Amino acid sequence: MRIKKVVRRCGRLALLLGPASMALGLLAYAAPAASASTGTGWLRLAHLSPNTPPVDVYLYSFHDPNAMIVLDHVAYGTVSGYETVPAGEYTVAMRGAGASPSSPPVISTTINVRAGDAYTVAGMGPANGLQLQILRDRLTTPHGKALVRIIQASLVQHRVTVTAGHKVLVRNLQFAKLTSYVAVRAGTWNVKASGVSEHTSASIDLAAGTIHTIVVLDDPGHLALDDLTDAAGSRVIPAGAPATGLGGTAPRPAPSSLPWLLLAACGLLLCAAGARWVFRPHSALPNRRPPAVT
Amino acid sequence: MTRVLAGRGRTSARHRRPRERRPIARSAGTALVVCGLLVTAVGLGGWALVSHGSRGHAASHGTSRDGNGFAAGARGKVGRISGPSKRPRRGSVGRPYWLLIPAIGVSSDVVRLGLTAAGTLQVPPTAAVAGWYTRSPRPGGVGSSIIAGHIDSKLGPGVFYRLSRMRRGEYVYVIRANHTLAVFEVTSVRTYAKSGFPAKTVYGPVPDAELRLITCGGTFDFATGSYLSNVVVYATLIR
Repeated sequence: MRIKKVVRRCGRLALLLGPASMALGLLAYAAPAASASTGTGWLRLAHLSPNTPPVDVYLYSFHDPNAMIVLDHVAYGTVSGYETVPAGEYTVAMRGAGASPSSPPVISTTINVRAGDAYTVAGMGPANGLQLQILRDRLTTPHGKALVRIIQASLVQHRVTVTAGHKVLVRNLQFAKLTSYVAVRAGTWNVKASGVSEHTSASIDLAAGTIHTIVVLDDPGHLALDDLTDAAGSRVIPAGAPATGLGGTAPRPAPSSLPWLLLAACGLLLCAAGARWVFRPHSALPNRRPPAVT
Repeated sequence: MTRVLAGRGRTSARHRRPRERRPIARSAGTALVVCGLLVTAVGLGGWALVSHGSRGHAASHGTSRDGNGFAAGARGKVGRISGPSKRPRRGSVGRPYWLLIPAIGVSSDVVRLGLTAAGTLQVPPTAAVAGWYTRSPRPGGVGSSIIAGHIDSKLGPGVFYRLSRMRRGEYVYVIRANHTLAVFEVTSVRTYAKSGFPAKTVYGPVPDAELRLITCGGTFDFATGSYLSNVVVYATLIR
């Protein structure tokens, strides 16, 4: 009766603990994925529309009427630094510089920021056709190379060809368009942008492990290049893991407990032998002389 | 007659001998039992000490790892940022020169580290100083700057002995050669097995100005003379 009760109780306990331990296990499994240096993404904002006057740029977490970030008086050619933001949905809105935060925005867009990813939200195109473009920025480079992409934001020179040394990065790139990333050999390059009537060049360091966006801009009267570092890492990724410890403070490994257990066992054997000696019946004593036969 | 005598002799011997030998046997047996008990006690005592000791070690390892592996929380900045001046500028960033981490009592010279012939990261020549990997971005410039230091030497604690005890939100200060100060805030502290060290995550490109402090941790393998894990502190520039 009692045993049955115990069995039943154990069963109930198992029913309770089973799912709980499973949940714990799942949590433990899920935790590393959620807690990598992710959970957040990066976002930067840019004004690349030549004939659009300066704007205030607002970043809202989705459904939150209070702006999370406001960039005041952002003029053409300005690109902000990256902001670290929690992964999720955001709204980017542009209002004329100094306009009331409650006034309807000139333009707005929504963006879904994924953990560990970087984005540029850029106002591009002519003022009468302003668009907010969401650009996905790369965060990995091929081994030993640099990545570069071109944004054409010059309205005066409608088509621009961009070269790095003798390598043509893009030919006749139209206004308000951009290239995808191109891998180039690491080094300092003479980057040249040529329009129909103007050209400009700049010496740009494209180090291995770095990712760049080069923006072609209208500077009053001539073309200009702006080199943005989208991301940078080590130029050479070291092999293996660094050996930064020699063990002076490490706890010594625990000695094996086996010899001690063997010793205890020997002791028990001795006890047993002694006990046998003490309680052995006298008839069984050794050294009994055999009966003499005469 | 002789037979009788002999018979008597035998019987008397048979009756007498047990009476003489039994006490000796008994005391010898008792001595054996006592010895046996003593040996058992010593054996069990040793075993208890050893197993208790190892449990103590395990516990201390557990606590030292507790501080590792929290989520990089959202550093949600709220408020007006006037002017788009936040873009870190290259060129204005000097080489790191001194490292200060008040939370774990670090104040150290920063030496320069390259690569070994085997292509691994050089480590500082002494355990007392930290080192900056010269092929990583400078602290405060765009990208992931790498500073490594020893957890210990053969004799005692090194500059990053307490690195694994850092917590999110604590500050790291780097003084640069052009007398500028970069302030970083810890976003996460992670421990990785050396066999699965995520080189791309640690050394790879990032879009903002970050700092990674690297040391060893986890269990020390006395057979190979090396720790089995690495501790990496991730921090982001705040000023």
